[in-house]
Parts: sequence; C-alpha cells; structure tokens
Amino acid sequence: MIIYIVLSLCVVIVQSTLSRYLAIQGVHPDFCLVLACVVGFLFGEYKGLAVGLTVGLFQDLLSPDGIGVNIVLKGLAGVLSGVITHTVSTVTWPSILAGTWVLSLGCGLASLVIAFPDVSATTFAYLLTTRLFPQSVYNSVLGLGCFMIIRKYQRPDSLFELLNRH
Amino acid sequence: MARAAPYLPMSTGLRRISIVIVVLCVGVWFLLPRQSQAVLGWVGNPLSSVLEVPLKWVASLQQAVGETWERYVALQHVEADNQALTLEVARLQGEVNLLKEQAIIAEEFERLLTYQQTAPMKTVPARIIGRNVSNWYRAVIIDKGQQDGIEQEMGVITEAGVVGRIIRVNPSTAVVLLVTDPNVAVTGMIQKSRDEGIIQGTPQGTIQMKYLPPLSTVDVDDRVVTSGLAGDFPRGLQIGKIQSLIKADTDLFQAAEIVPIVDFAKLEGVLVITTFQESIPINLPAPLPPPSS
Repeated sequence: MIIYIVLSLCVVIVQSTLSRYLAIQGVHPDFCLVLACVVGFLFGEYKGLAVGLTVGLFQDLLSPDGIGVNIVLKGLAGVLSGVITHTVSTVTWPSILAGTWVLSLGCGLASLVIAFPDVSATTFAYLLTTRLFPQSVYNSVLGLGCFMIIRKYQRPDSLFELLNRH
Repeated sequence: MARAAPYLPMSTGLRRISIVIVVLCVGVWFLLPRQSQAVLGWVGNPLSSVLEVPLKWVASLQQAVGETWERYVALQHVEADNQALTLEVARLQGEVNLLKEQAIIAEEFERLLTYQQTAPMKTVPARIIGRNVSNWYRAVIIDKGQQDGIEQEMGVITEAGVVGRIIRVNPSTAVVLLVTDPNVAVTGMIQKSRDEGIIQGTPQGTIQMKYLPPLSTVDVDDRVVTSGLAGDFPRGLQIGKIQSLIKADTDLFQAAEIVPIVDFAKLEGVLVITTFQESIPINLPAPLPPPSS
C-alpha cells in the first residue's frame, strides 16, 4: 500500500510543478489519469482502482474541486482500464491508445461539467475543441508510451513487479 | 716507431718578456682600472659574441627540457586536477545560479514585505509552491494554510494588484483561484469614471468586467480597481487596464476586456489579506475648533 501512496504522491507533485513545462498550446497532460490507466492496464482493475483512488485523493487536496471529484473519476478510470484488459483478447497498442483516450475523454467531460456548470453552448464547444480533445489525445499518447516502456523493461525485481506483488 | 713531437721550450728571454708584460698588465689594471676596462672591453667584446651562440643554444635546450618537463612529466596529475576544477567550476556555476535565483526571489519578497508594511491591511506573505493540478481551473498552491490563519474566501494580492481568492485551505497549504478563472468574481470599479461592475475570468483565460452602466464614459486604457463592496478586497487595489469595450445594440449593459496588471505566469510570491479596513483611510483635515464666544 505504501508504494501506491509514494507513487501517487510523486505523480501529483510532478503534476503540480512540472506539467506546465510539458504543456502544448496551454494543454496540460493529466499524469494522475495516465497513472491510474497504466496501472489498470498492466495489473488489473483492483490495482487500478487502488492507485486511482489514492492519486485522486492527493489531486483533490490540491485542486479547487471539492474532495471526491478526482477520487471518483480516477478510481473509475483505474477500474475501467483493468476491465478493458480483461475484455479484449490481446492487449495491443491500439487498444491501450483507444482505451486511454476514451477514459480521458470521459473524465475530462465530467470535470468540464463540474468546473463550468452554467457555461454557454459556444463556450462549451470552445472548451471541448481547445482543451478536452487535445488533452485526451495527449494523455492517450503519454499512457501508451508509459505502457510500452514499462512492458519492455519489466523485470521480476522491478518497481512495477513489486507493485504487482503487493 | 713514431717519434714524439719535439718539445720546444720557450727561450729564457721570451719568458722574461712574457712575465714582464703580464706584470705590467696587472699593474696597469690595478693602477688605471677605468682605462684598462676600455682596453679589456675592446679585446673581450668579440669573444663575448663567440660565447653568445653556445650560451643561447644551451639556454634554448634548457628551456626545451624545462618545458617538456613541465608539460609532460611534472603535469602528469594535471588531468585529474583539470577534472576536479571542471567539477568545481560547474558546482560554483550552479551555486551562482542558485544565489542569483535566491536574490531574485528575495528581491520580490522584499518588495512584497515593503508593500505589506505600508498597505492599510493585515496580510500574510506566501510562496507559490505549485500550479493548477487540473486542466480546468486556473489556480496556484501557496505554502500557507490553516496554521497560518488562512481561511476560505480571503483575497490574495501582490504589490501590483489583485491575484485571486483562496478557494481551499489545507493545514499548511492553500489553493488560490486566480481572477482569470471563470469561477472567481470580484467587484470592480473604473478608476476614472467611478462606474462599478463585476470582474470575472473567462474560459479563454482573459478577464472581463461585466454589468457596466450603458451610459458609462469608460474608455480604453482606463484603470480598473477593486470597489471594496464584496468584502474580500479593500477598495482601490489595481486589477488591470481596459483593453477593449464590448457592447451590442441589444445588450442592457456594457462589458470590457481587461488586461490584468499581475503577470500570473511569473508569480512567485503573494500576500493573503487576512483583515482590512472597509475603506482606505483618507487624511481628512482636522475639524475646526469651536467658535469662541
């Protein structure tokens, strides 16, 4: 459990300090969502849920959202990514890419509705095209990259195997 | 058998003459030192130029050997020294950068503290330790929280003007929602025309002043300040300048795009307003003394 907390804490710190340097046209990647998805894809829905809940809690503590929004969304993303790996017969890169993209889009849409509840249709469309879609693409590419790297360098004594055993 | 060269002894007369000449020369050298020096110089100068060549040759050889020694033999540890010095230079450059950075931060905080001492309100200085963790809000995280007396809805400023409002308070940190976020609204006023309105961020990241009176004489480049009506900011703090006016024929009110006075991208330190007087005190003239009867 401690390893989940440490990993989640590191990712939230990176999110709050370094993500602005990785922003493309003002679109920040959501490392917390990527972490929950990648863990879900690699180690199944339970690990995905645990990491999603932990990282969501930390994100909520530093976010203007009320506590609970990110816990639910990231936890859900972790579970669903685990479910995707069970659903598809072989986990290939298109399934990871599409899975992360759909989950990112869903989480982003929910966050968008919560952050801007009474926004006009024009502004909503603007946010959808300038932030939500680019961010989901960014997250999915990032998630796929992380997944492939971890898969390639996965060793029995690696951090992620350690994570898997706990 | 080869015969040895015959020894030719100097004749006694010649020997005597030589002795006399030597004694005379020594005597002259003792008795007339200055004059003898000139004569000796006349004789010795050509000899010195003959000596010069081998001397130079030996000197250059000595120099070459010395240089070889210094370059290759005596400097065999120079590579290690060089590496150590390179590391030292890199370390010192890092230190210099760090000190420069600290100096810049100290300068900014000095400005903030100077402003804090002169501002007509109680404030808590805070450092920005993080930016928005979500893509949907424009927020920063500061290093002061409940333990430092920070509460929700408190105003956050710099010496330049309004930054935002505290939206979440943790024990030792707090989240500040910037005025560029659509979820923040501040009551504002055009400094010149005294027209009031609501300052609110937009999803595009700009600031708008809404609900300006339709007959307002507001113009581009007019300064916008807080009106002090809502209770979280005192009156008169700068927010920005009017960039453009928005008014359709069907609109009841005017609106204006505002360029914020604070550069949010370079924000490093802020002041959180904890308490303030409702209006900035003005030095009124002293009341007149009662008329003497």
